[in-house]
Amino acid sequence: MTDILLEISGLNVMYETDDAKVYAVNGLDLKLNKGETLGLVGETGAGKTTTALSIMRLLPEKIGLIKSGTIKLEDIDITKATEADMRLIRGESISMIFQDPMTSLNPTLTVGDQISEVLELHKKGMSKEDMSRRVDEILRLVGISPERKNDYPHQFSGGMKQRVVIAIALACEPKLLLADEPTTALDVTIQAQVLDMMKDLKEKLNTAMILITHDLGVVAQTCDRVAVMYAGEIIEIGTREDIFGGKDHHPYTDGLFGSIPDLTRTTRRLNPIEGLMPDPTDLPAGCKFHTRCPKCMEICKTVKPENHVSHTHNIKCHLFLNNIESTA
Amino acid sequence: MNVPLVETRNLKKYFKTPKGNLHALDGVNLRIEKGQTLGVVGESGCGKSTLGRVILRLLEPTGGEVLYEGKDILKYSSRQMEEMRKKMQIVFQDPYASLNPRMTVSEIIAEPIKVCKTITQKKEMEEKVYELMKTVGLTEKYINTYPHELDGGRRQRIGIARALALDPQFIVCDEPVSALDVSIQAQILNLMMDLQEERGLTYMFITHNLSVVKHISDEIAVMYLGQCVERTDNEELFRNPMHPYTQALLDAIPVPSLNGNKKMKEIIKGEVTSPVNPKPGCRFAARCPKVQSICTENNIELREVKSGHFVACTQY
Repeated sequence: MTDILLEISGLNVMYETDDAKVYAVNGLDLKLNKGETLGLVGETGAGKTTTALSIMRLLPEKIGLIKSGTIKLEDIDITKATEADMRLIRGESISMIFQDPMTSLNPTLTVGDQISEVLELHKKGMSKEDMSRRVDEILRLVGISPERKNDYPHQFSGGMKQRVVIAIALACEPKLLLADEPTTALDVTIQAQVLDMMKDLKEKLNTAMILITHDLGVVAQTCDRVAVMYAGEIIEIGTREDIFGGKDHHPYTDGLFGSIPDLTRTTRRLNPIEGLMPDPTDLPAGCKFHTRCPKCMEICKTVKPENHVSHTHNIKCHLFLNNIESTA
Repeated sequence: MNVPLVETRNLKKYFKTPKGNLHALDGVNLRIEKGQTLGVVGESGCGKSTLGRVILRLLEPTGGEVLYEGKDILKYSSRQMEEMRKKMQIVFQDPYASLNPRMTVSEIIAEPIKVCKTITQKKEMEEKVYELMKTVGLTEKYINTYPHELDGGRRQRIGIARALALDPQFIVCDEPVSALDVSIQAQILNLMMDLQEERGLTYMFITHNLSVVKHISDEIAVMYLGQCVERTDNEELFRNPMHPYTQALLDAIPVPSLNGNKKMKEIIKGEVTSPVNPKPGCRFAARCPKVQSICTENNIELREVKSGHFVACTQY
């Protein structure tokens, strides 16, 4: 009996248009355990949202293609599921919440109706009374008074709207929640409330979560494990302790940490990473980060780095020729 | 004592709504010394963007004074304001919405110069544009590109180049890096700090991001529902935040480290109250963990509680 809920192997996703082929995800491997929270960190264009959309099979039709690889949710291979199968999976086994709560909610339906919608689709046997009770229960769970279930989205603030979005996502108690920058659009004090609530809910419902964010602070506070993405690949993955406490890191991860103004120290200049993320239609050979890497060696320009593993910590970099020391 | 470059006295801005007056700014007193950066922080609806716009007279205030080099610019005629505009500029938050999509990079940067006629010779204008592009780190090849062809970081550099076109003294920076990725943010912040050092610029830096404001500011003002609740120099604010709202704000920031977990500290409850027809007394009272009855009786003044440290709170 395995603890693994989600297993992605060798995922390659491409966007194909008349003008160009965009290599958005390149050879992604990922394992997620039941009830675990994985932070997926990276900058714009890294492929994080594409990965999430691939899991949900919500890539834009015709243009977005899963070229190869498998995505297994327990025994089901998502890449081979039919659209009819996926409609049953979405909202019930896997739910997704998006960055902007302002545009995620239907402005013409009440909040209560939007939560009921999910129940109607997936819990066909439920009576109207049971559904109503469940809606109240879920609203209370996300900190909204059930009295407000007949209100419309525009009557709520940003933070409250995001709670509604979370309520809809969790109504059927899915095994996996994909959260794409769920608090980026929110004020920091509201973010703190929403993150706290999400943590509580996760514990109550034992939902696994992939939290996509560029905010390393949020990651440190909420995630068990962290994966760093660059140009469509996971270049580093480890536990929270590995990433925030370990001494060995991928140069890109170091660069990300160096870019953040630190509240605890006063520094004159930040250390941003030179240059920009490479053009996904024209990726560099060898290690995709080599053109920006301050520690680039000859081998990096032509040979793709292998995973260097130490217990829980994987780094894809030629610098670590031997297995890296674990953080003891 | 030096005359500050920019000063506001009892600055007010109210918007009329069907439900009553919306108090966007209510009696704001600030001063910014020449060559310094005042960071203005606060969350949605606190009035910080409105403050930036009112100071530049992009919005007309409802009351109070805005002094530039000691003179009340609210009394200036439109001719006089035209002259002032050369000295006071703005960089906007959204590098996608603040650039005209139908103008090329060089046209956007040259626009203020054309409007104010500071340069009329075509050759001289071109040279100035190239110089500005170089200053902000935009390579020459982008001279005829359109904004949509460039990423957020480059677009924001265009916005900064445009703001520098008239050689201003004072620049309002309204969340200039919020829409950018972390490593691009760092590049732009470094650029802005370098420019300040080279040109003696004065900034009013508006942001909700406390880590950014700590990095770039000399002095920081914390805004809540249209009022300044605390104001002091950078180090003092983080070392010794006095207003409960400032404390809550600092506590709420997720720290990217293993020991950053603030489960023990109180997470501030509730939401911001309405800025329409606000009741007398402290506007933070409804959410304040230290509220007392005295807090809702009369309006609370921003007072100098310690040398250089101003707080609006009944505790002190």
